[in-house]
Formats: sequence, structure tokens, C-alpha cells
Amino acid sequence: MFRGLESDTQQPPKGGLLLLQLLVLGLFLIFVLRLWYLQIHKGQEFADKAENNRIRLHQVHAPRGLIRDRHGVLLAVNEPAYALAIVREDSKDIPNALLHVSQWLNLDLSQLHETFDKGRARIKRFEPQILIPSLTFAQLAVIEANTLSWPELKIVTKPRRSYPQGPLLAHVIGYVAEANEDEMNNDPELSLGDSVGKKGIEYTMEKRLRGKKGLRQVDVDAAGRQLGANMLIPPQVGSDVRLSIDLELQGFIDEQMKEHVGSVIVLETDTGQVLALVSKPSFDNNLFVSGLSHSDWAIMRDDPAHPLQNRAIQSAYPPGSVFKLVVAGCALTERVATPGDRVFCPGGFQLGNRLFRCWERRGHGVVDMNRGLVESCDTFFYTMGDKLGVDRMYPCAVQSGFGRPTGIDLPHESPGLVPSREWKKQRFNDNWYRGENLNMAIGQGFMLTTPLQVARYNAALVNGGRLLKPQLLADAEPDEQARLPLSDSHRDFLVQTMVDTVEGSRGTGRRIALKGIRLGAKTGTAQVVKLMAEYDKKALKDIPYQFRDHAWMTSFGEKNGRRYSVVAMIEHGGGGGAAAGPIIKAVYEHLFAEELQ
Amino acid sequence: MTPIDRRLVTHFNWSLAGLAFVLFAFGVANLYSASGFRMEEGLTLTSYYRKQLYWGSIGLGGMIASLLFDYRHLRTLAWPFFVATLSALLITLFWGKTIMGAKRWMDLGLFHFQASEFAKISLLILMAKLLSMEHEKLGWKKLFSFGGIGIFPVVLIMKQPDLGSALSLLLLMGGMIIFRGVKGPVLKGLTVAVPALLPLGWFLLHDYQRQRIMGFLNPGGDPFGAGYHIIQSQIAVGSGQLWGRGFLEGTQSQLRFLPEKHTDFALAVFGEEWGFVGCVLLLFLFSAFLLSIVRTTAEAKDGFGSFLAAGIFFYFFWQIFINMGMVLGLMPVVGIPLPFISYGGTSTVVNFCLTGLALNVSMRRFFFKKS
Repeated sequence: MFRGLESDTQQPPKGGLLLLQLLVLGLFLIFVLRLWYLQIHKGQEFADKAENNRIRLHQVHAPRGLIRDRHGVLLAVNEPAYALAIVREDSKDIPNALLHVSQWLNLDLSQLHETFDKGRARIKRFEPQILIPSLTFAQLAVIEANTLSWPELKIVTKPRRSYPQGPLLAHVIGYVAEANEDEMNNDPELSLGDSVGKKGIEYTMEKRLRGKKGLRQVDVDAAGRQLGANMLIPPQVGSDVRLSIDLELQGFIDEQMKEHVGSVIVLETDTGQVLALVSKPSFDNNLFVSGLSHSDWAIMRDDPAHPLQNRAIQSAYPPGSVFKLVVAGCALTERVATPGDRVFCPGGFQLGNRLFRCWERRGHGVVDMNRGLVESCDTFFYTMGDKLGVDRMYPCAVQSGFGRPTGIDLPHESPGLVPSREWKKQRFNDNWYRGENLNMAIGQGFMLTTPLQVARYNAALVNGGRLLKPQLLADAEPDEQARLPLSDSHRDFLVQTMVDTVEGSRGTGRRIALKGIRLGAKTGTAQVVKLMAEYDKKALKDIPYQFRDHAWMTSFGEKNGRRYSVVAMIEHGGGGGAAAGPIIKAVYEHLFAEELQ
Repeated sequence: MTPIDRRLVTHFNWSLAGLAFVLFAFGVANLYSASGFRMEEGLTLTSYYRKQLYWGSIGLGGMIASLLFDYRHLRTLAWPFFVATLSALLITLFWGKTIMGAKRWMDLGLFHFQASEFAKISLLILMAKLLSMEHEKLGWKKLFSFGGIGIFPVVLIMKQPDLGSALSLLLLMGGMIIFRGVKGPVLKGLTVAVPALLPLGWFLLHDYQRQRIMGFLNPGGDPFGAGYHIIQSQIAVGSGQLWGRGFLEGTQSQLRFLPEKHTDFALAVFGEEWGFVGCVLLLFLFSAFLLSIVRTTAEAKDGFGSFLAAGIFFYFFWQIFINMGMVLGLMPVVGIPLPFISYGGTSTVVNFCLTGLALNVSMRRFFFKKS
């Protein structure tokens, strides 16, 4: 059955076997002798040395760099945290001490006993054992007032990361927590108990924020009692990080979002700087710093609104009509249509025996590209999609920054999805059908984009076609990653249709119009489910929440040389303009507050 | 597959397997003592002993897997294994994740593995195959041709740079060649040439490695720097005296005078808590373990089996020798773990797998007649 199973006739070499035995004998003898020398002959001497082993080297933690907003407001700080500990060797009557602690702090005595009994086996002599890991200031005051008569009770201090803004910026800043073994293996500078950035800017800017540890020589006796200390190498403080985020704007948008689930992004179009990145609902990142309790974690994990999800960059939605801008640009670049070409919209597009409906059942009549975009006529774009086909729409979308991460300095960014013929073959082992071109052209079907991708694309439309990396650091230079596949005149045409969408009486974005500010917009509706006929004619409030469509609105605004791109995605917000419009309008009122007065 | 024969069970080398598990149990108990919790800075330390138990159970699986097949299949697989390892080393060199400034680890998504560990195993198998075809002591020509094969992985690993592993690869190969025996003039030549070449090696070392050697030669010269490990580990072991301070009672290791106490310096914790008596017992167990492999070498029914067992012998022997020498202050600090006693994922699994391979050779010793 197997070749090569026949045995060779080689005998084990006699000399070799003798050598192996001698090696074992040598190993045994050498080390027994050495052990005897160290442990018996010089044992007492070493034991004395151990008793007087006065020098211990301690790593001194470097304070982590602070995080500020673009105006210098602190977003992440280090503050001392206080823990209550007990030193057994200093106590005459431990149960009595525990009893008093429980009385001062109004804590359950049996639980205190349990904590103490659980931990005591792990603690060496003269080492403080933590009873209460974090004390409030009120508790601290009570303890401080009483410790004089209780020498065994000690207050232990250590720096702890704190985020004054909590949920408002949790998705951007992320949080630090204790390093796990993987992280320690990957980074020699980390040791047990160190805090390390796990999410957000704390994670991506870890190298900058973390300082260099110092070394402190501590004189102790062998029982562990500290006698004195001396700094050998002072620790180096980590560098501060200034974000591009405008805390005030962020807070304003957060208020405007009210109970909505979704995200809003504000970009400076010419630099790519992110002024606000709001994702709702959010979570309190302070909870993670001192270790999340199991129940808190379970609550967050099981929350159907997924508060841990950064919806601006990690959630990908069908772009809906927002994608029509890309398709229109593609049609112009590929010379499939000119701005003047017209399509007749009878309320749908007949393909074979299937009717692809326009959202306007009565039909738009004769529509050119400008009107197609301003009134978001589906029939016009079914026609474009049919002419272009996936093989031409795919490269256009990819070159416009879709289907790949934007490269923002935050972890776990979703790339979104731009379908192609090959992708569909691989994913479903199925061919691409002609009807799917039509769905793709109106941003439905397989297409998925993140709000940040849309915001970046919109910024590129108005900044001269430059696709910039969205920057979160205030000192980051603009980083051009690609150019939109559009000529200048075609780009200007698209920008003008966005303006018409706001200013025209039939534009889908007319709700956000502001006097004196040049505003442009495109709305979109991302279908959650194929709307069932029964919901077709119903008012939004009569449709169950989870079946309502997601509302998109992408926009730009400019005045006095300042230009912004603002994108809002409201989950289950129904039609694009209705839900997202008021929020976007409020953002522009805030951004151009001076100009509007 | 080879049918499971009852003779396989009858001839199973229980003492070799038992010794490996006893050593592993010592190691886990020692880790339990060496990890412990540290609260003075408000930290909770993860205990390593539990993770070690987890690695041990994977190792047990590996051990069983390594004795189920007939080891003679490895002879046909020796070259493919070797080539695959070389490719893995090349991949590590170009794409490996840089950890601690060295590209030793390959990221497999789920876990990291050290390609150099695989290099040791595949070189061991290949050398066993080649040497088992030599019917007389080796002359210069053979020596150079074997050396020429082995030098590829050695150079690749040195490039990573992982001098410790490159050195253990050389020692493993050297041990197996000496086990086969070399002709008189070659032996004389080597005894002159090797010591003469050693100083040249100094120039291949990195600064930190030179510091370690200087620290070894003169530990008092820089008691907080390079000499720190050496002084502290000797104090820890020495203060154990005859009976030791008792389990969980070591002060030196517990108070963190000792660095790396769960990995390379695990023996120092052991020596402090179990004393001379415990250390000699441990040494006795290691010797019995090694002698059991020697017996497998002698009794194997073919040359390939003999040389495999001899290679396994040297794999363990050098690690024990170098680690103990380092902790007891007889050798400079080299990052080599003590088999079964030190904490480590890859090394624990590989140790059990190689023990399994030795068991494999041992239990098939009566299986086929020599012609």
C-alpha cells in the first residue's frame, strides 16, 4: 500500500549510543554539582542576599497623551483612580476592619468577605489586596477620614483614562483597556496590566499617544516592604493628539439627531478634515476603561440598536438615489448620454415582461438629465443603467471611491460593496441579469456604501474632483487618493443639478434651502425590504418601524470660501428629504451662523 | 493505514510517556506559583498556568497524532517537508510579522507559529533519513554535503534574526552527525576548527547579544542591566537551599526580582521553592526521560528509527542543557525554554509531538524483521 515502508538494515552506531549515555550522565553530574554549589555550599549566603535583596526595578508608567478637539477642548484625559486595599500583615482584626468598611460605605458585609476570601490566596505578604476597585469621591472622603485609626486600610492610586464627553465622541475616540496576551506578544513594550488603545483614535494613534516607560529603582527588604525609591530613567509622556473634530458642532448635531438612529458626517471639502462624525445611538466609552462588567457588556451586545456600531464608517447601506449622481457622471464620461438627452417617463420602464416602476407612478413625462436628478426620476436612470451596463458602472463607482475603505484613521471600516459580473459569479455562482443593471443604476440591489464614502464623494464633486482621505487629525495635510472620473464641465453640471435640487420648486432637497448660502443636495431612500403593496400608500407613521426605508441626504454648502459636505443617514427614516432634511438644514444654519445673521 | 495491532499497545513505552506528563505537571504547578495576582498597582494578572494546561491538551492531541501512523512514512516525506519548511522560512522573511524587532512569527490568522520550530523538526527528519543511509563513519566529503543542506535553514533563520534558533539548529544537526560518528582525522580537524571559528561568531552577534555575553562574563559590571537576570536568578535558586522555601512561598520570584519568571527563568522559581532536593529530583526526571529516548534509539528496528530517536534526544538535550546552564549561571542568557517546565504555546506542542514520535519509534520496534 505504501512505498518506502521496507526497513533499512542500519544498526545504531555503538559509539553514538555510548556518547548519548555519557551526555546524560554529564548533564546530570554537572548540574547536580552546580546546584550543590549554589544551594548547599553557598545557599546560606544567597539566602542572606535574598533577605537583603533591596533593589527592585519597577517600570514607571508614562502618562498617555491627551486628546483634544480642533479648538483645544480636552476629549481624553488621565485622572487618578482610587481603590481601597487592605494589608493583612498590618491588621490585628480583619473581620472588624471589614465590618467597619461595610458600615462606612454602606456595602454588603458578606460580599466584602467574599471578595477578601477569594483574593487572599493570591496576595503575597505585605502586598495590598484590593477590596473595592474604584471609589467615588464621596466614598474616598469617608475612608480618608477614618484610615488614621485603621493602618491596614490603604488607598491605592493609579492613573485611569477618562473621557469627559463620554457617548458624544465614543465612536471617534474609542477607548483603552487592559492589554491582552496577543497584544503583549505583538508589542514588547507592553506588560501585564498596561492599558492599550482598543478602538477608535485610541487604537489607531496608539504609538503617538503612548509614552515611553521609565525605570525606578525601589529599595525593599525581602518581605516586600518598600524602604526608598529612586528614579533611574524618567518616563516620557506620550504626545497629545489634536483632532479635526469640532466638539461644539458635534454636540449640536448630536442634539439634532434626537432619538433617530443613524449618522451624520461633516467634512471640510478642500482638506478632507472631519469636523463632526456622529453615530447614534452611542455608548459610554468610560465603561470599558476599568473593565466592563458582564451585565453591562451583555446589555450593549444585545441592544437591538447596536450602540457599539459606528454607523458612519462601519455600516453599509444601499445608496439609493444618491448613487444616481455617480451613474449620471458615468453616463456623461462614457458618452452614453449628454446633458440635453431626453427620456420619456410614463411611470416606469418596461423590460421584457417586467415593469420597473418609477417612484412617481403618474410618470414625469419628458425628462432630461438635470430634471432626472432634481426630481430623482427612476425611469431616466433605468434607461441610463440599461445603456451603461454593470461593466461600465462598476469602474465608475470604484473610481468614485466606493467599494473600498476611505482610509480614515479608525479601525474596522467597512469597504461597502460595488457588485460586478465577476463578483456575482463568485458569490452566487449566477450570471448578471439585465434587470440588475436597472436596480444598480438607482442604487438598489447589491450596492452598499458607507455614509463616509458618500460624504467623501460629495466633497470631491465640489473641490475639483479630488478624492481626499477623510482626516481626523487637525495637523494632517490633505491626502489626495484619486480623482473622480469626470471632466470639469461634467462635474460642474452635476454640482449645478444639486443646487437646482435645493432651489428648484420641485427639487427633492428644497426643504434645506437657506437664503444667501449656496447649497446643493441629493436625497436617497435605501429600501429595507421590497415594500409590500399593503404599505404602498400608507403614511410613514403607519408602517412598522423596522420596515421603514432608510433616509439618505448628501449635501454641500458654501459661502465666503468655506465649503462643507454634510451627509446624513437616518435609519428607518422613510423618505430622504423628510427625515434627513431638517437635520442637514440645522447643520448649515450652525456652520454659517455668522453669514446668516 | 496500518492496522492497529495489539502488539502496538503491548509495546507502548509507558515510562517515556509518563515521564513527559510528570514533567509537564511539575511545570504547570510551577507556573501556578509563578503567575499569581499582583494587586499593589491595581492590576490583575492573567494566570499562565491555565493557558499552559490548554496548550498541554493541544500537545496531547499532537502526541497522539504523532504515534498513530508508522514513522517510516516520514522517510518518503523527509524532502517535501524540508522544502516546505524552507519556503515557509522564506515567506516569514518577506511577509512575516515583525515582533520584538524580529520576523520570527508567521501570522495564520488564528494563531502565530514559529517557522523555525518546524525547521528543527523537518531538519531532524531529513538528517535521520540521510544519516541512516550511511554505513560508515563520515569523512570530510559527507560532512560538507550534509552541512551544506543544513546551512540553508540556518542562514534563513539567522536572517530573521533569531540567533538562538539558528544555533539550536546547528547543535541539533551537529549532535546527529557526531552520533553517526566521523572519521578520525575529521574529528581532529573539527576539535581544532570549531574553537578557532568561535571568535568570528562575535561579529555576527547583535549588540544586545554581546551585552548578554559580557554580562555573563562579568555580571557585577552592570547589575541593573545585562547582569541583572544572571545575579537575580542565582540568588533565587541559591536561596532555596536544601529543602526550598516551599510551594508558593518563594520571595525572590514572587516579589518580581526575577524577570521572565514564567518563560525562560521558570527553573529559578522552581529552585527557590523546591530547593536542592526538588531540583535534583527534576534533574533525575529529565535524565530518565533522556535515557528512555536513548533506549528507543538502541532498540529501534531500523536505522531511520534510530536516527530519528537520536535527533529527538538532541532536540531535548540541548534545550535542557542550555536553559539550565543559563539559569544556574554557567552560560550567557539565551532565550531557550526548559522543555515542559517553561511557559510557551508552540514549544509545549512541539515537545509533546516529538515525544509522540519517539513513542512511535519505540512501540514499533518489534514490528518487522531485519532481512
